[in-house]
Amino acid sequence: MQPAIFAQGIGKGFRTGLWGPVKQVLRQVDLTVAPGAIFGVLGPNGAGKTTLISILATLLLPDTGRAEVLGLDVVRQAAALKARINLAASGAHFLWCMTVTDSLRFYGRLYGLGGRALTDKVEKLLDLFGLAEHRTVTFERLSTGLKQRLALAKALINDPELLFLDEPTSGLDQEMAHLIRQEIVRLNRETGVTMLLTTHNLREAEMLCTEVAFLKGGQLISEGRIPDLQRRLGLGDHLSLVFQDSPAPLDYDRLPGVLRHTVQESRVDLVLDRVDERLPAILEAVYVTGTKLAKVVVKPVDLEEIYHEITH
Amino acid sequence: MKLRTNLNKIWAFSTRSALVNRRNVFAIFEMVFWPLIGVFSVGLLTRFLSLEGETVAFILIGAVSMNTIQIAQLDLSYALLYSVWSKSLKHEFIAPVRLSHILVGSGLVGLVRGLVVFVLMGGLSVYFFDMDLGRPGLAGLSLFLLGLFLNAAIIGALVLALVLRFGQRAEVAAWAFSYLMLLLCGLYYPVSVLPRGAQFLAQLIPLTYFLDYFRHFYGFPLASMHPLLYGFSQTVVYLFISYGLVCLTLKSAYRRGTLLRLSD
Repeated sequence: MQPAIFAQGIGKGFRTGLWGPVKQVLRQVDLTVAPGAIFGVLGPNGAGKTTLISILATLLLPDTGRAEVLGLDVVRQAAALKARINLAASGAHFLWCMTVTDSLRFYGRLYGLGGRALTDKVEKLLDLFGLAEHRTVTFERLSTGLKQRLALAKALINDPELLFLDEPTSGLDQEMAHLIRQEIVRLNRETGVTMLLTTHNLREAEMLCTEVAFLKGGQLISEGRIPDLQRRLGLGDHLSLVFQDSPAPLDYDRLPGVLRHTVQESRVDLVLDRVDERLPAILEAVYVTGTKLAKVVVKPVDLEEIYHEITH
Repeated sequence: MKLRTNLNKIWAFSTRSALVNRRNVFAIFEMVFWPLIGVFSVGLLTRFLSLEGETVAFILIGAVSMNTIQIAQLDLSYALLYSVWSKSLKHEFIAPVRLSHILVGSGLVGLVRGLVVFVLMGGLSVYFFDMDLGRPGLAGLSLFLLGLFLNAAIIGALVLALVLRFGQRAEVAAWAFSYLMLLLCGLYYPVSVLPRGAQFLAQLIPLTYFLDYFRHFYGFPLASMHPLLYGFSQTVVYLFISYGLVCLTLKSAYRRGTLLRLSD
């Protein structure tokens, strides 16, 4: 199957001032994104996330390498590609004096829509994003959450096959961020649209993304599905066994799937390759010793650990 | 189908320009107030100086031309400045639009606004200062207006190029360009009164020839044998150059990341 995004050796630098040195922002980035995926590009500020997404979204020319999005070259076939993609970015910005409807109609026309088709599309998006009651409100009077919803609505005006989401919940309160995330997942499920999302919110990436890539200093340092990354990095899920008295007399390192363990008074902390698979066997081993457990705490490995492991 | 798609894209920029003008009280202000000030300040000055009818027409033609060009070029110049001010430039350029959609769409609104200013100022000049605006006939008037609008398009396109290169700072250029051009092309005086070097520069500006052409209907001798030929030839060359310049700066903006910087 043809990947939705295929990039090879992408490099980009920006000159500081007229004669200043070139600051390299992206170095030899390779990336492959499967169709229908929600792919997260993670990294700290200045890692090159926005530069990468901008190159793939035809807003910036790469210095080196080549990239194909939906099978089209982002440089040579940019015009054809633009019709099939769209972008929603953090801190939504549209013309201040245009109403919600005006903005959607304006962007709809930019994609060649007009007449009945445009009206129907705008109405559908107004309903979908709960913007109908705000249709006559100008952009400058919208709340931050509504602006972000409008940004997402605008990003769907051309029924894109691939959507770029540049930190889509940045600056939103918890509730609104949650709503936007739900919307992203729903869109992906219902329409099958491929999404490339940049974020430095690891929790968000964990919730949304099927695959992630880590950028640091303009280089892609790791890429894959979260469980695969976990395995590749030797990271494991956490299992804490808190005993009523002293810990069970077991050789914990020999238990199935245990990567390492620490003992602290009546508590044993284990790191397992897959907690969901290993837990029954471990509990059984404890049960056989006749030691009584007071508490069992399971904490699957999270993206933050993976991120920390990769970036440090 | 393709034609309709292109028309919708052009219409997008026309409606946006029209909306901004309609919802911005200052846009209406600049379309009515400054032309009024222009026609009355100049008209009353000619009355104070007790100038003859033809001389009054000479000066009023300059005032009407200046305001018409100023207003007509604004929509083109602002086509990208609206996006820069609202930080939405990347949303416009991620869409499958071409420069021609932006230029034609915004230019159409500039044309309508320029026409309104011309009619308003012309009407006031006729009513209050007895200027015979109909003397050049419909053909003469139309050719002169076409010349004015094409000059406005050149200025607008040059400002667009500057916006793509320098961002918001180019706003000043929108005004400066036209004032410089108007100073050199003999707006309130014949080009012959300019210093020799400035006269040479005036010959490089198409508006000089269009003013020359229009004023000869009021009894002023032609400074050049074929003003329309020179005027329109120069205009075509400058239109190509300015369009090429906008294309080049847009390409450079894609390379330098200007579109992103102007959207932050």
